[in-house]
Amino acid sequence: MPDHVMNLTVNGRKVKRPLGENYRLLDFLREELHLTGAKEGCGAGECGTCSVFVDGKLVKSCLMPTLKADGATIETVEGLAPLDSLTEVQRAFHKTGASQCGYCIPGMVMAATAALRENPEADFEEIKERLGGNICRCTGYAKIFEAVEIARDVIAGRLPQTALEPDAAAESFIGASVRRIDAPSKVTGRLKYAGDMIMPDMLHMQVLRSPHAHARIVSIDTSEAEALEGVACVITAADVPGEDGFGVFVHDQPIMARGKVRHVGEAVAAVSAESVEIARRALGLIKVEYEELPAVFDPEEAMRPGAPVIHDYAPDNLVKHIPIRKGDVEAGFAEADLIVENTYSTQQIEHAYLEPEAGLAYVDPDGVVTIHSPSQNITHHRHMLAKIINRPINKVRFIMSPVGGGFGGKEDMIYQGMLALAAMKSGRPVRLVFTREESIIASAKRHPARITYRMGLKSDGRITAVSFRMISDGGAYGMSTEGVMRKAAILAFGPYEVPNLKVDTYGIYTNNTPSGAFRSFGAMQTQFATESHLDLCAEKLGLDPFEIRRRNMMKIGSTTHTGQMLETCSMEEVLRVAEEFCRWERGAPTSRGATRSDLGGPDTRKPCTLGARFKMPEAEESKQEVA
Amino acid sequence: MSRYARGRGMAAAWYGIAKTATIDRAGSWVELDDGGTAKVLTGVTEIGEGILTVLAQVAAEELGIRPEQVTIGDNDTSRSPEAAHAGATRQTYMIGNSVALACRNARERLDAEIADHWGVDINLIEAFNGEIWARGTNKRMTMEEAVHICKSRGVVPVGSGSFTAHGTGLDPVNGTGAPWQVYVFGAQVAEVEVDTVTGEVQVLGMWAVHDVGRTINPRGVEGQIEGAIVQGLGQALMEDYQTEKGHTTTPGFSKYILPTALDIPQINSRLVEDRDPKSPLGAKGIGEPALVPTAPAIINAIYDAIGVRITSLPATPEKVLAGLAAKKAASIAAE
Repeated sequence: MPDHVMNLTVNGRKVKRPLGENYRLLDFLREELHLTGAKEGCGAGECGTCSVFVDGKLVKSCLMPTLKADGATIETVEGLAPLDSLTEVQRAFHKTGASQCGYCIPGMVMAATAALRENPEADFEEIKERLGGNICRCTGYAKIFEAVEIARDVIAGRLPQTALEPDAAAESFIGASVRRIDAPSKVTGRLKYAGDMIMPDMLHMQVLRSPHAHARIVSIDTSEAEALEGVACVITAADVPGEDGFGVFVHDQPIMARGKVRHVGEAVAAVSAESVEIARRALGLIKVEYEELPAVFDPEEAMRPGAPVIHDYAPDNLVKHIPIRKGDVEAGFAEADLIVENTYSTQQIEHAYLEPEAGLAYVDPDGVVTIHSPSQNITHHRHMLAKIINRPINKVRFIMSPVGGGFGGKEDMIYQGMLALAAMKSGRPVRLVFTREESIIASAKRHPARITYRMGLKSDGRITAVSFRMISDGGAYGMSTEGVMRKAAILAFGPYEVPNLKVDTYGIYTNNTPSGAFRSFGAMQTQFATESHLDLCAEKLGLDPFEIRRRNMMKIGSTTHTGQMLETCSMEEVLRVAEEFCRWERGAPTSRGATRSDLGGPDTRKPCTLGARFKMPEAEESKQEVA
Repeated sequence: MSRYARGRGMAAAWYGIAKTATIDRAGSWVELDDGGTAKVLTGVTEIGEGILTVLAQVAAEELGIRPEQVTIGDNDTSRSPEAAHAGATRQTYMIGNSVALACRNARERLDAEIADHWGVDINLIEAFNGEIWARGTNKRMTMEEAVHICKSRGVVPVGSGSFTAHGTGLDPVNGTGAPWQVYVFGAQVAEVEVDTVTGEVQVLGMWAVHDVGRTINPRGVEGQIEGAIVQGLGQALMEDYQTEKGHTTTPGFSKYILPTALDIPQINSRLVEDRDPKSPLGAKGIGEPALVPTAPAIINAIYDAIGVRITSLPATPEKVLAGLAAKKAASIAAE
């Protein structure tokens, strides 16, 4: 019913507009009314970034058919306060630093507002429960809870309005908790992320992605798609005018699949059309003939001779091996009183930034190919794209749009090249906004790791030798794998000095979703193993976990695993402060939780007991009573 | 055995600041502008950590004005100086120092004109919070007047800064090298409660102690630590991207489980400020290092609570129950 005329009251004003193609209320608000404070984070009602009030009730607008809101009164984040002013909730978010990337924040502000409207006396536990339907990936929620409690108390008059003011300037602005300068734009929903931007005459892009993990592309026929009314252009690898290939370390990834696909979800072709709907329809008209190839999904299988080869340049499927050697490891194990071996593994992790990838590209009047995107590395993207489109570097311009969370996941140029090619081919601005599902299958993940650990120690806890081997699945493209393997290896054995060490990290190509940069760049995986292993050793030696670390820690003048002399080192101080700060009760890590006296202090929260109707069966009794 | 078992675990960590095993660099341009305000141009990328606020604080301090008077022109490859990428815990260190150097350069221009105007030694000039004065004299004016005077004398108070961090590549055979010029250290402690009937783990408390060098914005640093701990908690207990023959089986947030409001421990953080002697500001960084010790601290705490050593992340309820069952079977076998 695109002709149906919607009559609503939105932020206090009467609105009369045709429904158009905006089936979901979220699309109607964003595309028809340009109220982009409500964001799309997941499109499935799971993240809360699209929250608005409909007739006073908090609603996830991605789940509500627009027609259901006909005649309703709608309040969005833009309508909470008059321009140039903020509500108590918004001011409290500003005060506490509750907004980081800001993408979830309009939804959080709406949920917090709803919580305090429904129960102005909501306590801490109730506030948490009421915000339970909103995901934030940056803040760890702590500053958000703090903000809602302050706002509640100011509204109730228990705290003065001045509680929302900035702290007074001290003697220096460095070391002061100056309020974030970008917070007002975020708590009001005014900040425009790439997916919120529009330009006159703008086209919408949709991407055809590979259904196969490994397949040769026999042919691509785009003629029917190109003939569809409303389609401006279709691009494939054939449209790349220069040297195709990008990547953070090795340029092994084409803008779109060239000759073959190497993972499910890889871009194969892209349509730019007058609307998203037309572009989607056109995708269905593109005919791609594939010839499936044997695929490999396990890095250790990929390392074996005869395994399917993913990239011709790397017949052994090795992206990067980083070796680190120090001293004589065999001699170190020979002098050990105790040798402890174990294996560890970590999983692939999705960055889950709340802002899915989005971008807007155009060719400016001077012929400069210009791309707005929330990228973490536009300097490098510019270098790579200039080669790919064969233009001088000053004819390529990248502009950073506000980044709705990155964590390493927005370092890879996985879509900006397609936008540039489409803008060049169509001569019009082109926008692409990923769905959550698209973001998950097409973007890099944290490298999963399998680690084999061997450690030799003297009976007093001093470590004499370490042998460490890690195999990591790099997935189908190199992306940041080389750098991740390097940092993982350098930092693997942690802040401890050891005379004899052997570390090897291997990043391997497979036909899985690529792995790439993710907050800590390999250090998390390797040090997880090290810190777990040290506790194993401490238990065997009867040493306190802090103590075994102190006996091996780096100090000023220590030599690192790569042979660097440390001129400063705060490790001893960090351990001292941590032990005191948490009121640590000393003892070996022998599963002594039941007898500890340092548990349940005022610096812990209460356990959550939602749904706790189930009663514990009597000890050793198998009879269960269920309420 | 009680249904709910509690325990504590700790883990330490280290991290290198800025790009690994290579030279890192960042550039900035600064102008002390009309009204005693300032423009700072640099290829910085705010990815949510608060770097724009950090740079406004640095510029205000160095220029003698207030943070809200600083306008930051951020990353545009055709308009701002190169400052490389948003990653490697490098922006406060690299770009913060670059902006400090550019501000000092602009102040040298301004201070020379004002010292000459007042007929005093340039080394007596100081500025803070929108005012500029000559120490030990009664010469004092607003920064607005100072900029006006400087420009009237034919000088625009502009400056540029380039900051370099020296790392070296690793030897390809034995890995020898000096990959960073500055390291940070940290330690975290976790307190957990394990439900031995359901296998669920709740993290009730986290204590985080990190060396960040000189702190620029304490609340911002806390925010980074809290966010990192919750990501580390997600990896320790619930997040798991899975594929079946290359096809994901976790394509959305109903299958890929993220920590939400009710999963959050009380997070207690404390900073150790071991200033970096190799850079003008003395600051280091916190974005990535705060995530590193979280998962092992939680896993060590689970062991303390129930005697089950999880070696494969995440510690899902299924793995915890399997561990408890294996432990029980082993103890029966031992009897």
